Amino acid sequence: MAKNDLITRNLMLDSLKQYAKNRISHEFLREHDAKNEIPLEILKEMYDHDVLGVHLLLIPEEYGGLGGQTTEIYRVCEQLARIDLGIATGVFATFLGSDPINVGGTPEQKAKWFQKIAHENKLVAYGATEADAGSDLVSLRTRAERVEKDGKIVGYKITGSKMWISNGGVADIYTVLALAPGGPSWFIVEKGTPGFTQDAHEDKHGIRLSNTAGLAFDEVYVPAENLIGLEEGKGFLQAQAVFGYTRLMVAAFGLGGGEEAVETALMYAQQRIQAGGPLSEKQGFMLKLITPHYVRFEAARAYIDWTAKQLEINNHGLATEGAIAKLYATESGNKAAEDAIQAMGGFGYTKEFAVEKIKRDVKITCIYEGTSEVLEMTIFRGRWQEHLKSRGQYYIKQAEEFEALHATHPDVGADSVALGFRALARVLEDCRLQKLTRHQYITFMLGDLISEAEVAAVFARQCAEGKVTEGSRFDLATLKIMSRVNARLSAFKIATEGMKLILGVGAASAQDLSQAVNLVGIEEKMTGLIEDEDLVSAKLRETFKA
Amino acid sequence: MNIIVCIKQVPDSTQVKVDPKTGTLIRAGVPSILNPYDHYALEKALAIKAKTGAKVSVLSMGPAQAVAVLRLALALGADEGFLLSDRAFAGSDTWATSYALATAVKKIGQFDMILCGQMAIDGDTAQTGPGIAYHLNIPQITFCESVDSDGQHAVVKKLIEGGHQIMQADLPVLITMTMPVDYVAKYPSFMAAHKAQDKQVSTWTAADIGADLHKLGLEGSPTRVSRIFPPAARAKGEMISGSAEEMAAKFVEILKKESFVK
Amino acid sequence: MIQVGANCVGCGKCVSTCPFGALSLVNRKAVANASCTMCGACVSVCPVKALSLPAAGAVKKDLSAYKGVWAFIEITDDGKTQKVRPVGFELLSKGRELADQLGEELAAVVIGDGVEKYFAELSSYGADKIYSVSSPAYHDYNTAAYANAMVQLIKKYNPSVVLYPSTYIGRDLSPRISSELFVGLTADCTGLSIADGLLIQTRPAFGGNIMADIKCPDYRPQMSTVRPNVFKKVVTRPGSMAQVVNEVIPVAAAAGKVRIISKHFDEASTQEKLDEAEVVLAGGRGLKDAAGFALLEELAQELGGAVGASRAAIDLGLKPKEKQIGQSGVTVAAKLYVACGISGAVQHVVGMEHSDVIIGINKDANAPIFNVCKYGFVGDARQLLPKVVEAVKKAKQK
Repeated sequence: MAKNDLITRNLMLDSLKQYAKNRISHEFLREHDAKNEIPLEILKEMYDHDVLGVHLLLIPEEYGGLGGQTTEIYRVCEQLARIDLGIATGVFATFLGSDPINVGGTPEQKAKWFQKIAHENKLVAYGATEADAGSDLVSLRTRAERVEKDGKIVGYKITGSKMWISNGGVADIYTVLALAPGGPSWFIVEKGTPGFTQDAHEDKHGIRLSNTAGLAFDEVYVPAENLIGLEEGKGFLQAQAVFGYTRLMVAAFGLGGGEEAVETALMYAQQRIQAGGPLSEKQGFMLKLITPHYVRFEAARAYIDWTAKQLEINNHGLATEGAIAKLYATESGNKAAEDAIQAMGGFGYTKEFAVEKIKRDVKITCIYEGTSEVLEMTIFRGRWQEHLKSRGQYYIKQAEEFEALHATHPDVGADSVALGFRALARVLEDCRLQKLTRHQYITFMLGDLISEAEVAAVFARQCAEGKVTEGSRFDLATLKIMSRVNARLSAFKIATEGMKLILGVGAASAQDLSQAVNLVGIEEKMTGLIEDEDLVSAKLRETFKA
Repeated sequence: MNIIVCIKQVPDSTQVKVDPKTGTLIRAGVPSILNPYDHYALEKALAIKAKTGAKVSVLSMGPAQAVAVLRLALALGADEGFLLSDRAFAGSDTWATSYALATAVKKIGQFDMILCGQMAIDGDTAQTGPGIAYHLNIPQITFCESVDSDGQHAVVKKLIEGGHQIMQADLPVLITMTMPVDYVAKYPSFMAAHKAQDKQVSTWTAADIGADLHKLGLEGSPTRVSRIFPPAARAKGEMISGSAEEMAAKFVEILKKESFVK
Repeated sequence: MIQVGANCVGCGKCVSTCPFGALSLVNRKAVANASCTMCGACVSVCPVKALSLPAAGAVKKDLSAYKGVWAFIEITDDGKTQKVRPVGFELLSKGRELADQLGEELAAVVIGDGVEKYFAELSSYGADKIYSVSSPAYHDYNTAAYANAMVQLIKKYNPSVVLYPSTYIGRDLSPRISSELFVGLTADCTGLSIADGLLIQTRPAFGGNIMADIKCPDYRPQMSTVRPNVFKKVVTRPGSMAQVVNEVIPVAAAAGKVRIISKHFDEASTQEKLDEAEVVLAGGRGLKDAAGFALLEELAQELGGAVGASRAAIDLGLKPKEKQIGQSGVTVAAKLYVACGISGAVQHVVGMEHSDVIIGINKDANAPIFNVCKYGFVGDARQLLPKVVEAVKKAKQK
């Protein structure tokens, strides 16, 4: 059977939207949010093969699934997040929980468990996090002791505990990371196995429609065939192999949540009459609270989509790109949701409108599947190696590429992308010379600046290639304006933040440094910035007309 | 038994907005959908398929991207799709459109029943269905809420002024469908959407169906738009704002003044 | 697609006019893209006449033989008795104006069983002639039978204009006839007039806030459908009697292919009859959901009115299609009309603007509905309605 094409993806998304429209009202969400209750019946319906069968996306075709590609999975994640991030998390947990089987399972294990998940619509949970092992799994405490019979390993006894497990209290199947004698390993544990208990559902800040619970294992016996891959010690590799991919899904959550919040605020602003006209016609309102967020959403969408297409070619890996996508999209979504409340004033602060809940919900995307700080560190480590290996040329080369691109496509902001890359190369080199990366704060901030530069670059290149990102509601002309705005702002951020870091920690002449990062050159590109932003505002009003 | 359902891709009217300044439509970012009446007609055809094992084909005319509504129909259970797509069709009014669709139906060949939505929500003419029936020289029953068939006849519930009538027609017949108020359109599951990719969609040009070019596009369309203009402006009446209580009091005051409440 | 002449000055008027967003300015010239449907809307707005549709080489027929304005008269049947549906008188009244402007005859065409009893009344609405096809075989409306009779009459007498009611029957019949005769048919006209001997058919178009004039210059007869209540019925010739032309037309054989098994009539109370109600309360998208409409029903109870809905609310499934007020729904002429959460797109306005007192409630102070209101309330109808119901109840108790 053919891979899903664009029309098929859009059909799936339409079905999902229509389902949500018919079955999941704001009142319904509000009620469950207040009661801190998972709508299990909704999850079951979404898994029902005749209704949606959304979980089939993650199951390979040969086991009765759809063998979903990264693109449709991230787009479904974005749409789920627009409906409710709690429900989205419940679905995602099944995706995530099945991944160790997908990556490390033997054909027999895949056949057995995937068919169970596909046909019996089982909820799955991913059991990795512990009290002392969060985004960083090194300090794993849960243990798996071998049970031998006649000198043969017949099973394992798992002892320990997990915390903050999504679907923890409601799943039917759990994939659990535990330390076996041969090293960290994944085990499949079914609900009801003696000694395995689930804690009470957490009382959380947001995603209250997602069940989150601790797991306790007291000498829980699982047969040896439940060791994923039938080989001990592969757990970390299996976990990391999917990070690029799973983080892309959470990136789409950040994007979807943010979009929903900003669009709600924009619809509201078009009906709110202030000083003789709708709020949405006011420049200050738009440029401060709405427009910059949508520019970042389109940049994030372009980057997520590009990464997804890369993953479809390379299968797994791309850990740095996955981290960039997640950091950029979730932080953008989180800040946007905060401003959406501000944009709606008192109404935004009440539960009558969705933005207040979205703000609480979307925060989790900056935390789970790697906190923003862990991601910044990951991104820094990945690109620092490149910087060193290339003797400082890694971003210079990319700057040259974008200078050439600007010559042929002068309307996508490639010139500013190039300036940003040159500034970034210089900042990294100064950090190397002055050994500034011994400061943890510097490494975090460098990770952030790297993500700014790379996202702006991908967005500009996609626009130059004439690509309208799948799922975008804008035409190419508008995306080009957005790319110009985004590239200028990111170059400026790289130069000024970079200078701040070096001047703040190391020793340098401010004047020399500002010349070295070409701050004036970057600032000169600001000409026409506000005009471009006004054009984006007008397009936003047109596209999201109340 | 063979059923052909004629369907159209239309802008989602619930999302189309009007520019308050120019009075024109804002189409930017408005998604396209399957015309809701056609969606209902398709579901009725599929219900007959479920009962009798009929083959259901779907036929549409439009730009290349209209293939999306055919794919939706296939995902919902239709067996085969046909798209008429050619610049030669551009500018067609309902006369030329029904001629083109009827010509395509003849090319498809076998049919016992043709189902159409009573009208498209972007045109509201309700003329294309009867036009197709004329060109095929078959009877029509319009504005039907339900349809059933035993393979020999069609039995429908047709709306009439002040009520409805049950009617029976010999096959072949063309029936246009209106939807009941509580109708909630069905959408395909993810797996059904996936499997629809493997079903056949044929794209035909005017030459492919052997249509007479004089009866297509502008040439086949007797009607012409001669002028468009904004509606006449009127003087604004009294505007009232304030708290809900204040406005409610004012509302009753007006009702009394105009003697609707004594 | 639309043709742009070298004399285009790049003023951009056509760009903002295009209902399909198919035109843009490139190097100060209008350029059409693939979205162009050749609707011709831009042609008339071009100040330098640079835009044109490709010449359609329609065979020019001699149209001078086509004379006279016809109105198809629908007979209604409530299960007990038959009578002329009032929209027929409205068509005759408008038809009289058109015939006078053309200097031609006005004819009523009536097909049915024992139709002589309607002649006097039809005459009083201005008919010069009545074409009558009367036989028990025409007792019930049948598409094939009626279409065949109409086509034969038209072919024999060559009218220039034929008007039909836009009703279940008129909308079933007229496209069948236009298809056979290869002539134009314009649905749901809200205005009809004559210019240069041609019928100008005005209707809201392209779903937007815009009106279009449509004509059929090269084809005869020119045919239109008109909703009930759009035109006023005016007795122009009290006591006069039209010339009656009786035609005997055997029922077409194809008529037997469709049979009526049974008829069912709803027991509709007058309160539910929108087009006859004196007080009409209409809800739109701003009422949001069924609960919003429940509020409206409650107010309707208090005021003894009927409840209708805008196109947007119908599309959201909040009311059945037959409760739609507007161009493609029911046209009302109420004494009191209250529009709640309706923005006031022209297709709605043409269906209610003949009401006496119009009150609008909308949270957008710029909503076009306020342009036709005697009283405009700026607020959320969902919040205002409960207070209004309360206040009306209190006022009635006093």
